[in-house]
Amino acid sequence: MRHRSILEYAQFRWFKGAVALTCLAAAAYLWHDPPLKPYGGTWLGYTLGTIGAVLILWLLWYGVRKRRYRSTSGTVQGWLSAHVYLGTALVVIVTLHTGFELGWNVHTLAYLLMLAVVGTGLYGVFLYLRVPRAMTENLGVETQAGILLKVNDLDREIRAKALSLPDSVLALVDASLKGTRLGGSFSRLVTGRDPSCPTAAAVTRWAEASRRLTGDAAKVGKETYALLLRKQQLLEQARRDLRHKALLDLWLYFHVPLAFMLLAALVAHVVAVFIYW
Amino acid sequence: MKVLLTIRAGGRVQSKKPVSADWLRVGRNASCEIHLPDPRVALEQGMVTRPDEGFMYVAGEAGASDISRKGVRQVRLAPGEPVDIGPYRMELLPPPSADYDAAIQLDLVRPLEAASDLATRSSQLTLGSLGLTKRGAAWLWALIVLGLFVALPSGRVLDLPWRDAAKVSTFGDRFWNPGPLMLAHQPIAQDCGACHETAFERVKDRTCLECHARIGKHLAPHAQPAGLFEGARCASCHREHKGVKATHRDDDGFCVACHRDLRSRSAGAAALDASDFARDHPAFRLSLPGEAGVRRVRMGVDAPVEASNLTFPHDVHLAPEGVRSPVQGRMKLECRGCHQPDAARQGFLPVSMAKHCQECHALQFEPAVTAREVPHGKVSDALVVIEEFYANLALQGVPDSFRKAFGVPGEGLLRRVGEPTPSERESALKLAQRKARQVGEEMLEVRVCKTCHAVTRAPGHSPATPEWRIAPVRASTEWMPQARFSHRAHPHVKCAECHDVATSKRSADVAMPSIKTCRGCHGGSRPAEGRITSNCLLCHGFHDTRYPWDPLFTPRSPQRASGRVADAR
Repeated sequence: MRHRSILEYAQFRWFKGAVALTCLAAAAYLWHDPPLKPYGGTWLGYTLGTIGAVLILWLLWYGVRKRRYRSTSGTVQGWLSAHVYLGTALVVIVTLHTGFELGWNVHTLAYLLMLAVVGTGLYGVFLYLRVPRAMTENLGVETQAGILLKVNDLDREIRAKALSLPDSVLALVDASLKGTRLGGSFSRLVTGRDPSCPTAAAVTRWAEASRRLTGDAAKVGKETYALLLRKQQLLEQARRDLRHKALLDLWLYFHVPLAFMLLAALVAHVVAVFIYW
Repeated sequence: MKVLLTIRAGGRVQSKKPVSADWLRVGRNASCEIHLPDPRVALEQGMVTRPDEGFMYVAGEAGASDISRKGVRQVRLAPGEPVDIGPYRMELLPPPSADYDAAIQLDLVRPLEAASDLATRSSQLTLGSLGLTKRGAAWLWALIVLGLFVALPSGRVLDLPWRDAAKVSTFGDRFWNPGPLMLAHQPIAQDCGACHETAFERVKDRTCLECHARIGKHLAPHAQPAGLFEGARCASCHREHKGVKATHRDDDGFCVACHRDLRSRSAGAAALDASDFARDHPAFRLSLPGEAGVRRVRMGVDAPVEASNLTFPHDVHLAPEGVRSPVQGRMKLECRGCHQPDAARQGFLPVSMAKHCQECHALQFEPAVTAREVPHGKVSDALVVIEEFYANLALQGVPDSFRKAFGVPGEGLLRRVGEPTPSERESALKLAQRKARQVGEEMLEVRVCKTCHAVTRAPGHSPATPEWRIAPVRASTEWMPQARFSHRAHPHVKCAECHDVATSKRSADVAMPSIKTCRGCHGGSRPAEGRITSNCLLCHGFHDTRYPWDPLFTPRSPQRASGRVADAR
């Protein structure tokens, strides 16, 4: 059976629902003839605002629902599909709620936060559509643990071989053996690169360092170099995988805190509106 | 030489083999006879040689400080005198059997620490392992927003302990302001509490009336039956935070809510229903001054006639070939020759006899003799001037004037030689009086006044001593008082496009434009091709501007209210 993404869940049920909701809101907005001009305080403005606020609370509830493994209210796929589509529809509902009245105030802050949350969410959807395929292409049947084991084997082999090489070459190999690492910092995880990787340095500087090898040493040198290249390949593969995992994770570090910031701004918005009614 | 080579590590023998060569190279290189597989050992660290007597260790590579005594390049090997080679300790032992020249034992005294593998060095493989936290950030930001935009600003209105801080803070309640205030309210824009006094309560009318104390009523008492505007607040119509110029609602729904079906709201309403200027608006009503005061006349229904009591044919004055002016000769009159805009350029100044008519319509009574004119105004004043003129002529007139005026030869009484006799006096007086009466009568009834005015003889006077009444002039100056029409706003429209007077022969003709004329350019409140979108408030104000809305007003009795409605019809 072909894999169906959450976007196609139940024959696009939530896509249709979101489109219907959006069209309904847009039609009401066009039909509505507000006194003065459209804004959040007309009856339609209050209606759209209430729908928007309920949607925001419901979208936040997804974070709770997805952790309730024993819940029987729909499937998590269904919830996520609805989360994505209704979250996108929220942009239209809330924009119409504002009546395009923006300014330097807490109300616009809530609006911008809403846009930011939906924007990061859509970025997350984009990532989840792209990155898993890239992960499969990168790793194939390999696993990260498998790569680590392979690198360790290579290390042993390299260590044994490199002993027959002169100090200058051995130093390169030794640095690669002792100093190579995966992850460890935000930039290394997110970029999938380690500009100070000793293995990469060893590979780059190998030609220079091994120029004067002759005879048996040259042969051992070549073999060591081949092993180093293989090791570097494995490291790059592992780093790409770490990067993919970091990317799948990173957007949530914006999406989730922004969502709670939005919840706070929503509270501020509603309080501000009704405290000075 | 042949030696038995033993390499030990951690007290255990790792290898034990005979080696025979002329010399024994020591190093980590696999080709070394004494092969020490340790990265701390140089590739070819040194060499064991056997010159004539005994064994020597010679350091090989530069910098390989592997000999116990520093600075020594070579050292003699002897049992009990070990030599350090990197982490190894080399010692010469006596030969185990006659086959050997010696035995060499190497002990790994400083074993290589187990190299950490990649997995142990790579412990931070996820963002979570770096100490980043979603939950912490969520709490932090949510609390910052709640603190800055809820807790701090509500200090004033909820009377919280940081009440004073909230007042001066840049993060006071001003970030709650949803939109710009109208210009007049901007001085108090930073002080939300000026209007928003109590939390979770709408702004009270009392708050508005604190400043707008003298605003009075918004509705004539008769237009406000009890209950019709019940519950209405200042803010029902006057919206704030909707831009610097928006002072009130100006949508048609504002008016049409009642005026679509006015009778259902107010049984005594005088106005007809209206909901849209283009589709549903009654014909205009005109205000026509009459004997009984101003009448309101519906155009197209009542065929309005202006009873101005003036005779004025527009067609004669606007004749394409012009009019003959005694001063300027033939000249073409324009509308603005008589209808001059007022200072606001909205309407026009009243037409004035002295300014606009008298140059042609001179009030001369004896043009053959004098250019003098009677004053425009009271009949008696004019008659007195005439009487005095002829009396003076009878007394002092020169023969030429005397003859022209009285039609008989002679001269003024006082010009004659000698004292006039009583009969001469009497006859001169009679001559003057008769002539004055004749001229006055002719001026009023035939020649001058009659041209424009309705002149009648007052009843109860003998034909010999008549008195006249000139009908009071009631030219309308405010035809449509309920409409806010500005001529200034219509400078590109020619007068005749709205006011068709070129063929009007009578002053009774009303040349006010009908609603059809206006609809030629003005549409309703919905935009339409080729029409100016025109809502109610483009032409109308809110009821009677003399009575600003007073929410505290209650009519004294229903009778009083409905009685006034009848008056207004």
